[in-house]
Amino acid sequence: MIATWYAVVSFMLIVYIVLDGRNFGAGMLHWFVSKTPEERRQVIAAIGPLWSWHEVWLVGFGGMLVAIFPRLMASAFAGYYLALFLILWCLILRGVSIEVGGHINDRLWQGYWDFNFVLSNFLLAILFGAAAGNVARGVPVDAEGNFSMAFFTNFNVRGYVGLLDWYTVSIALLAAVMLAAHGATYLTLKTEGPVHDRAEKSARYLWIACIPLLLVILIESRIVRPDLPGRALSNPFWWLGLIVIAISTIALISGLTSRNELRAFIGSNFLIFGLLATGAAAIFPVMLLSTLAPENSLTAYAVASNPNTLRLASLWWPVGLALAVFYFIFISRRYAGKVSIQRDTQGFY
Amino acid sequence: MNSIFNDPGFWHRLQFAFTLVYHYLFPQLTMGLAWFIVYWKWRALRTGDDKYNQAVRFWAKIFGLNFAVGVVTGIPMEFQFGTNWADFSKYAGGVVGQTLAMEGMFAFFLESAFVGALIWGEKRLGPRGHFAAALAVALGSWISGYFILVTNAFMQHPVGYQIEANGSLGIASMRAYLLNPWAWIQFAHNQLAAVVTGSFVVAAIGAFYALRGLYPVQSRLYLRAGTFVGLVASLFVAFPTGDAQAKMVGNHQPVTLAAMEGKFEGGPMAPVALIGQPNVAKQRLDNPIEVPGALSFLAYGHFGSFVHGLNDFPKDAWPDNIELLYYSFHIMITLGTLFIVLMGFATLQNLRGRLETSRLLLWVLLLAFPYPYIANTLGWMTAELGRQPWLIYGLFHTRDGYSKVVSNGDTIFTLIGFTGLYFVLGLLFLGLTGREIGKGPEERPTTVIPKTKETFT
Repeated sequence: MIATWYAVVSFMLIVYIVLDGRNFGAGMLHWFVSKTPEERRQVIAAIGPLWSWHEVWLVGFGGMLVAIFPRLMASAFAGYYLALFLILWCLILRGVSIEVGGHINDRLWQGYWDFNFVLSNFLLAILFGAAAGNVARGVPVDAEGNFSMAFFTNFNVRGYVGLLDWYTVSIALLAAVMLAAHGATYLTLKTEGPVHDRAEKSARYLWIACIPLLLVILIESRIVRPDLPGRALSNPFWWLGLIVIAISTIALISGLTSRNELRAFIGSNFLIFGLLATGAAAIFPVMLLSTLAPENSLTAYAVASNPNTLRLASLWWPVGLALAVFYFIFISRRYAGKVSIQRDTQGFY
Repeated sequence: MNSIFNDPGFWHRLQFAFTLVYHYLFPQLTMGLAWFIVYWKWRALRTGDDKYNQAVRFWAKIFGLNFAVGVVTGIPMEFQFGTNWADFSKYAGGVVGQTLAMEGMFAFFLESAFVGALIWGEKRLGPRGHFAAALAVALGSWISGYFILVTNAFMQHPVGYQIEANGSLGIASMRAYLLNPWAWIQFAHNQLAAVVTGSFVVAAIGAFYALRGLYPVQSRLYLRAGTFVGLVASLFVAFPTGDAQAKMVGNHQPVTLAAMEGKFEGGPMAPVALIGQPNVAKQRLDNPIEVPGALSFLAYGHFGSFVHGLNDFPKDAWPDNIELLYYSFHIMITLGTLFIVLMGFATLQNLRGRLETSRLLLWVLLLAFPYPYIANTLGWMTAELGRQPWLIYGLFHTRDGYSKVVSNGDTIFTLIGFTGLYFVLGLLFLGLTGREIGKGPEERPTTVIPKTKETFT
């Protein structure tokens, strides 16, 4: 029961990262793949009508976390206080820069919002990457199950750690590069002309750059969390995640080399999904590891709501998911194909 | 040094209140406006008259701006349950988290999946598809309102819960929780108030164009719909929904009702104060002008009914800001009454065919649009200040709910950050909305192009 709910809540967060990750990536590359004002509008139009649909997955995840794991939500959100507000402010800045840029057809105005767009998306990728690193490494949870963390302390991974240390920074870097690759793959699928060509080239370089980074992080993780491999090997979901990673990597590589843009993009989505899912499976059942004392760690079993609340949630959550799948199909059909820019009464972007 | 500024609870409350009041300026318009858009789209389908499509196109842009700001300012609200109110989430997360998650999955997913189609999809979706998108967005926004009001109603009047072995709350009956009578009345009152905001804004822009002599067809459409819907909604906000809301407060939170009325001594034939300033130190209302018996009648149905005063309750049960609560409630009531008068008069003039020619009335309609925003805000302040000192009425104190690990330095920092960010956001919103209003509803007809997979706009 608890394990299923752990999977459900992780699923919501991972879907959010996969969906909004393309926007972070496309946003980061905005300046590199598009040079003229028309090209810039093309990038914005590729993500424009859908960013709020992607962002509400984060809201859905937040709600599920309160309902299913209230004590974890309380401990983690209060502990990550400043980091979370930075994420929220970047999300505000990102949404605003998409929406207002197209309202006034002026180079200075759009240039200014393009800058905010690039900056906020880059920071979001870094911040979410660092957050993932913190979950993997652990945080200084005390005996009451609370913690409060500085941005950085001594950049070490044991004891009173900060948000940033050598391990979380390297995961943040990987997140930035990999989401940029994801975004480039998306732009290859959605755009035409020079933007498409630059995005295609960037996608290849960025995906190649992921390989050494990923290897480094695997070695680092072995040092930071020597307990993980033993636990992961006995978890069938971890093996399932590995299979997803293997298949999606093949799809991604064959898509990129054969210029099958849709296949590459689907592979890219599932690759990120698989990586995050294996990570989530590997750390289960510990949701927040304590760097101070292992017995302070918060496990899914300790922080979950009572069985009756979980049972009630299991009645409506599948309905919500079914509706989400329905909307997803509508959106995929409605926004299929390349974007084109039309300056008429219907176009803001 | 023991002042309110050293109290972390004060800063958490201030930040939550500020971000919530600011956020709600946007959804109250989208929830009200959504049904105008649905109505016009339906008229366009039925009559084929393009003036309705023009109205939809224009208002969808205003809607889109409000929706975007509503989304980005709404996400911090949910996160603050954990960042700023961790101990509350720990205690009640198993209950309130359910509706927060349902809001995400049943309302926001629906709304955000179709809002792009509403704003940019007219050509691609065709008239019926576009109507369906408008309907989906309107439904989504109202469903979202319902789940949030269920959450709030639980905090006002907890039902359907049980206390678990570890001392936290869990749900005993989902049905009782979701069908909380408090939620239904609050939902009706709140949604109608959102329609009031929507209709005042629609009427104000109609009045603006009429005063300038621009877009006569469109401005007549906005003025007529805005004033008529405004009258109906203003009436229903007051009666039966506002009346039922006050009776519910009187029955379940009698000390709150006493504080809302600034009433210190209980007794029969309780008056309603039209004017007066509560003086908590001296326990009286200064300079009062009162209607005798009115409060007894409104709260309990008889002029002779006994109404409790604050002195009937221990002081630690009193709401902790009686003055602000009193003013919020009284100004809201006064504004609500004026709304009925204004929209009633405008509807009368409309029936006499003089709505678009009476410049004085048009000026008043134009300048009146901020007041429903104020009244909505004050209504929420009445609900939330009136609930104090409880976070969940009778179960959990507000002072127990905030995050104990967060320092004042952190809270004040994020409050400053929100103030700056929201100030800029407000300027942008006003500037861009002003531009859209200046551009006006476009006159040129659009041709419907066949659906193709290659493009979207």
